[in-house]
Amino acid sequence: MDPITESHLINTRRQFFANAGRFGLGATALSTLLNPLAAATKTSHGAPKSDLMSGLPDVPHFAPKAKRVIYLFQSGAPSQMDIFDYKPALEKLNGTDLPDSVRGGQRLTGMTAGQKRLVVTKSFANFAQHGQSGQWISDLMPNHAKVADDICVIKTMFTEAINHDPAITFFQTGHQQPGRPCFGSWASYGLGSENKDLPAFVVLLDKNTDPQAQPLYARLWGSGFLPSNHQGVKFRASGDPVLYLQDPTGDGDTDRRAMLDSLGRLNELRRGEVGDPEIETRIAAYEMAYRMQMSVPELIDLSDEPEETFELYGPDAKVPGTHAANCLLARRLAERDVRFIQIYHRGWDHHSNLPGRHPGIAKEVDQGSSALIQDLKRRGLLEDTLVIWGGEFGRTVYAQGNFENGKWGRDHHPRCFSMYLAGAGVKAGHSYGQTDDFCYNIPDRDTQGVHVHDLNATLLHLLGINHERLTYKFQGRDYRLTDVHGHVVQGVLA
Amino acid sequence: MSNFTSYRGPWACVVAIVIGLCPIAVYAGQPTGRVDFARDVRPILSDKCFHCHGPDAEERKAKLRFDTKEGAFRDLGGYAAFVAGKPDESEAIYRITTKDAEDLMPPVKSGKKLTEAEIETVRRWVAQGAEWEDHWAFVTPTRPELPPVKDPEWANNAIDRFIEARLETEGLKPQPEADKATLIRRVTLDLTGLPPTIEEVDAFLADQRPDAYEKLVDRLLDSPRFGEHMSRYWLDAARYADTNGYQYDKERTQWAWRDWVINAYNTNMPFDQFTIEQLAGDLLPDATPAQRLATAFNRNHPITIEGGVIDEEYRTEYVIDRVVTTSTVWLGLTMLCSRCHDHKFDPISQKEFYQLFAFFNQVPERGNNGFDPRMKAPLVLQDDNADELKKRIAAAEKAYDARLADLQPEIEKWSATAQQESTWSVVRPTDVISEGGATMTILEDGSALAGGKNPAKEVYEVELHTKANDIRAIRLEALTHDSLPFNSPSRGTNGNWVLSEFTMAAQPADGSGKPTPVKFTAARADYSQNNFEIAKAIDGNQGTGWAVDGNVNRVNRTAVFVTDKPVGGDGETVLRVTMRFNYGLSHQIGRFRLSVSPDAGADFGDAIGEILATPEPKRTDEQRRRLRDYYVAQHAPADLRRMRAEIATLHKQLESASAGGPSTMVMVDKPGIRKTHVLYRGQYDQPREEVEAGTPAVFPPMPTGAPRNRLGLAQWIVDRSNPLTARVIVNRDWQRYFGTGIVKTTEDFGSQSSPPSHPELLDWLAVEFMESGWNVKALQKLIVTSAAYRQSSRVTPTLLERDPDNRLISRGPRHRLDAEMIRDEALFVSGLMIERLGGPSVYPYHPKGLWLEINNRPGYSRAYPQQTDPQQLFRRSLYTYWKRTVPPPSMATFDAPEREFCVVKRSSTNTPLQAFVLLHDPQFVEAARQLAERVMTQGGATFDDRITYAFRLVTARKPSAAERDVLAAELDRRLKQYRADRPAAEKLLNVGVSPRDARLDVVEHAAWTAVARLLLNLSETITKG
Repeated sequence: MDPITESHLINTRRQFFANAGRFGLGATALSTLLNPLAAATKTSHGAPKSDLMSGLPDVPHFAPKAKRVIYLFQSGAPSQMDIFDYKPALEKLNGTDLPDSVRGGQRLTGMTAGQKRLVVTKSFANFAQHGQSGQWISDLMPNHAKVADDICVIKTMFTEAINHDPAITFFQTGHQQPGRPCFGSWASYGLGSENKDLPAFVVLLDKNTDPQAQPLYARLWGSGFLPSNHQGVKFRASGDPVLYLQDPTGDGDTDRRAMLDSLGRLNELRRGEVGDPEIETRIAAYEMAYRMQMSVPELIDLSDEPEETFELYGPDAKVPGTHAANCLLARRLAERDVRFIQIYHRGWDHHSNLPGRHPGIAKEVDQGSSALIQDLKRRGLLEDTLVIWGGEFGRTVYAQGNFENGKWGRDHHPRCFSMYLAGAGVKAGHSYGQTDDFCYNIPDRDTQGVHVHDLNATLLHLLGINHERLTYKFQGRDYRLTDVHGHVVQGVLA
Repeated sequence: MSNFTSYRGPWACVVAIVIGLCPIAVYAGQPTGRVDFARDVRPILSDKCFHCHGPDAEERKAKLRFDTKEGAFRDLGGYAAFVAGKPDESEAIYRITTKDAEDLMPPVKSGKKLTEAEIETVRRWVAQGAEWEDHWAFVTPTRPELPPVKDPEWANNAIDRFIEARLETEGLKPQPEADKATLIRRVTLDLTGLPPTIEEVDAFLADQRPDAYEKLVDRLLDSPRFGEHMSRYWLDAARYADTNGYQYDKERTQWAWRDWVINAYNTNMPFDQFTIEQLAGDLLPDATPAQRLATAFNRNHPITIEGGVIDEEYRTEYVIDRVVTTSTVWLGLTMLCSRCHDHKFDPISQKEFYQLFAFFNQVPERGNNGFDPRMKAPLVLQDDNADELKKRIAAAEKAYDARLADLQPEIEKWSATAQQESTWSVVRPTDVISEGGATMTILEDGSALAGGKNPAKEVYEVELHTKANDIRAIRLEALTHDSLPFNSPSRGTNGNWVLSEFTMAAQPADGSGKPTPVKFTAARADYSQNNFEIAKAIDGNQGTGWAVDGNVNRVNRTAVFVTDKPVGGDGETVLRVTMRFNYGLSHQIGRFRLSVSPDAGADFGDAIGEILATPEPKRTDEQRRRLRDYYVAQHAPADLRRMRAEIATLHKQLESASAGGPSTMVMVDKPGIRKTHVLYRGQYDQPREEVEAGTPAVFPPMPTGAPRNRLGLAQWIVDRSNPLTARVIVNRDWQRYFGTGIVKTTEDFGSQSSPPSHPELLDWLAVEFMESGWNVKALQKLIVTSAAYRQSSRVTPTLLERDPDNRLISRGPRHRLDAEMIRDEALFVSGLMIERLGGPSVYPYHPKGLWLEINNRPGYSRAYPQQTDPQQLFRRSLYTYWKRTVPPPSMATFDAPEREFCVVKRSSTNTPLQAFVLLHDPQFVEAARQLAERVMTQGGATFDDRITYAFRLVTARKPSAAERDVLAAELDRRLKQYRADRPAAEKLLNVGVSPRDARLDVVEHAAWTAVARLLLNLSETITKG
């Protein structure tokens, strides 16, 4: 390039950033630059990091405990009284009809509404206390015994929805119907990115093996009315790890660098001609794409992991799309400061033969989930990483189908279920709240119940966010993840 | 000190605060001068006060409301919130300025706070006399006078007078008109969604007539592409998709409605009629099928099939969706806020929400699997009309023949050299078994003929004995016979067949060895139907197969299967051939003959060989046709093959045209009236007060004589007195052209909306639109012929600072193209695009596994049906199959919504993932290859000619010398690279199914492909400037 053109370009560029700093760009350009993906690229031009990485100027609202989140979503709904919520009273109640007084008019799904009897059915699993905390965990999750003192089991979760689609949508977006941003998108929007080579919000799906599993939907990692660059970026277990990451022709890096240089030069020339600052952003986006092409393969390449890693996570960790592999990948993402890592594991929805099928799915996730917590802990990452484990609702204490032949299942139950939190700012080795003897109700729901909005308010709190203040104006209204509800659950905080 | 004792008390409800929404300097009230209540003050009151002092009676504090004049100035017992001209006596001013935390408003707890500037604005408004106006958008618009301007010469039409007047106030001047190349690209993209061709650009550049631009606009508005482009925006608003959404998200067929929309735009249906037919076409007297189809608009919402849901819960959601979507699309009202309680900001009560609900609550439908009522849809696009199709077939065949005639010299040249001796030997079967129970007869010529029972599916087991010991190819001839339907080679109901799988095993006849499966490495056919290529008969997949458009051309066909190694030993060999026909409808060959050859490259042999051996003048017409077909299949350029595919498709359309459209969900009112109740907190099972259908009281009433049903509602929506509809619609059109609406909050015209940048212009346009008879094309023409639209979009740092978002229209529009336009442009400039109006949605390229990865439940899921048919791959993106839970990934990456709910404004982002799509999506790589081919064959001989041609294809302008140099260097580099690495060149040229012009040098073609990729990735290419 001739020196005159070059100096002109440098000037326009300088002017552009001067303007960006002093005056602020137009709304479109602004929202673009706040995009954690593109924003991060600005560092290549030497702008200060603090400006770029924080999503919104006043977020976090206060010092956060957690810098990042790993959300292990157990889609289909694990059975609380068979895993975490030990109910010795069921030994006696086993085989009796669920009293109407307990059911209290609870709506049934269409699947058990026609059933003649609602027979209380004790757990088929064996419970024991573990760790110094004496946390009750059943033998379905033997590896979790090792992290009994690290997790905080909330036994008094409750939700409003009773069917999968609305319930999981409610969990992730705070609303049962499509249209709202999911948790990860809110986090990306509010907090931005801490990594300039990777997206702020990554989604890992399991390679589902259960033919009866519930499906997932793009809206669960969608950005709703938030700018669409806050939607979750799927890292896939097969094919390109990120869609279209690799050149279909295998164009090597040297060629690509030269090509991007030519592209950048042409775009700069145009920028000089028409003055559109958006072109700078686009150049930056291509530069980040270039870096991602290297950072993503490096991220998913496990060859630098010692054998001991695979002993911890189990042999599955080498099979892409398993829970163990996703948990290991989540740890690697956390190490790289990816803000929000959302894992989905499907296959918990056992309406029939739950005693035969629940152990299998529990085995699929037990070692990976617990290994992740141990691994984060020994690396010092658990201090500022928040881990969440749970499904969209619980399961009924009464059997679905034939109680007699052992092939019974459990139906959906929104009134109480268990989840656990671990890591940053969470009370370790703790059990929060108590359900009734039937594992059907929360007797002190007003004081102990943790509604989905309460959980989300608490999770945001741990991220340094006042859930009432992280809002986005849409259709004239200031929307937020917790709608107009939610209370931070102090009892789970360390 | 305060008098508002009852004001105090806990801030009961939790309200989120607004973050950092500082008004942009140019739009706030001037620091001095007159405060405009509507523009400057009302938004502050609405955002900071209405939540507790607004329309929601239940939440209202201290019985005080500021959303009405009476409320704001009411005597509160010797004092009032606002006292005109006296800020010091106005309690409200005290409340927003006091240091007393107890008295301060909004309460600290609310998190809301007035800025100093806002306080000052309110104060000055009171001081200046506190003139009150009702919310502007709720008052019926009247046509404003055109404002005076200093330079009236600049204005092309009324729009410009308003723009110019505002610019003058701001001390700004409009930009000069954009150069002609920029202008034609801008307006062509805006009106058709596609860029102009070079010929179109040249014609425009050469047209020196004063009305050249107007003529151009007229041509574009007349193009059927206009309707396609306009419809795309409507589909977002109408949350149109090809699946049901929710959980398993299975298929639905609403595309006939999409075609209705395209047709409505193309025929310039007046917008009031467009509205009435979509909202209530079924209720019109003597409703036509097309009018009933139009109502599918309000059945496009998601529908669940989740086991265990409660019918009424979901039925309620569907009705709510209709209220919300209709309100957003036509009225710019955020009705959803009133589902659970009175609206916080707008004067719409919860009861009124359910009065609107009542209009849409009359459908005889259920919640779970609620697909009925449905109708067999008429296909409104003339494309599907049989006569029209016949004409098109005739025209297409004529064009095809003409193109073939051009190629005649080449065909002759080829046939002169292609002659070869036949190496085929027919093997007469020793046994043929039909698993389906047909009677098999061996004819004299060695062929087998099926008769008698004709099963739906068939398997033929054929035993052949041969002494050949070096078989490299098996030939299958499908032969016509007068005992077969239509004298075709098939037993099928229409003369076609699908050979699902062709397999063979070989075994020494003396029993000395076991049968060994023979592996076929290749297959050729003299003809294959699109998407039923011969290779699919040996792909091991019983779900795919070879077909021949036998319903159209009932003639002999030949296939050749090549073995991986010589078959046959010293003695006699038994070959056992199995032919499976799994398609059904008796799609099996009725007469076939098998031959073997030692030549793996053996041609189709006897038939073609014989023809080739016959001197041209002696060939029969039938022989010429066969030779031609063969040539086209094997050697012809891509365009010819595409033409032939198009003809076959047209024939198929003709066949289905008489069959009518798919079953489509439409609106119907049930007999009698379903009662509607206010639902407490919006819950389906909490009915309260019964309500009747009606419109909100704040607006003018329903027109006299309008029925109290959807038809009456529709008439009310397009009534001249309705303050919202025309404003909302012209504002969305403005947004399409300029990137931002005159009212930025396209989705909300209520109290919380952003004040219009040019309120008088908005009203003028709205009135003009209504008085033009809701003429949609006239409105578009008005906007794009304005001087404002035609300005250069060049921007200086100073201007960027003064008018960052171009809300003042101080320059021409510039913004990124939408997802669909980016893909369509690549298809169009590369020559890949197949243009056809309407029809079922299509399946373009798609990364493997995306559908199954989120849902792989047998019976409820399926894999994305990957296609190779150009008719599926290269149509406009408007026709892409839209699965809600997995929207097309390259579209979603460029901000396309999921279509689960109504969207009237997409976000516009700029991310690395978008770079990946443009760099790596095979569609864009293939488009680059085709673009390169076009440049090399049509762009001239020199580099300069070619690069100019290429550059103009994507940007409409010529490259500068500096740009040319960068591209020349890129080409040089690539030539060097590919010369040294020919496999890399071949790899690049192998992406995509479209055929490559084999006459082009591989290295050169690859290098130009690389340059074309660069061009498709230019910021300018994906930007309207």
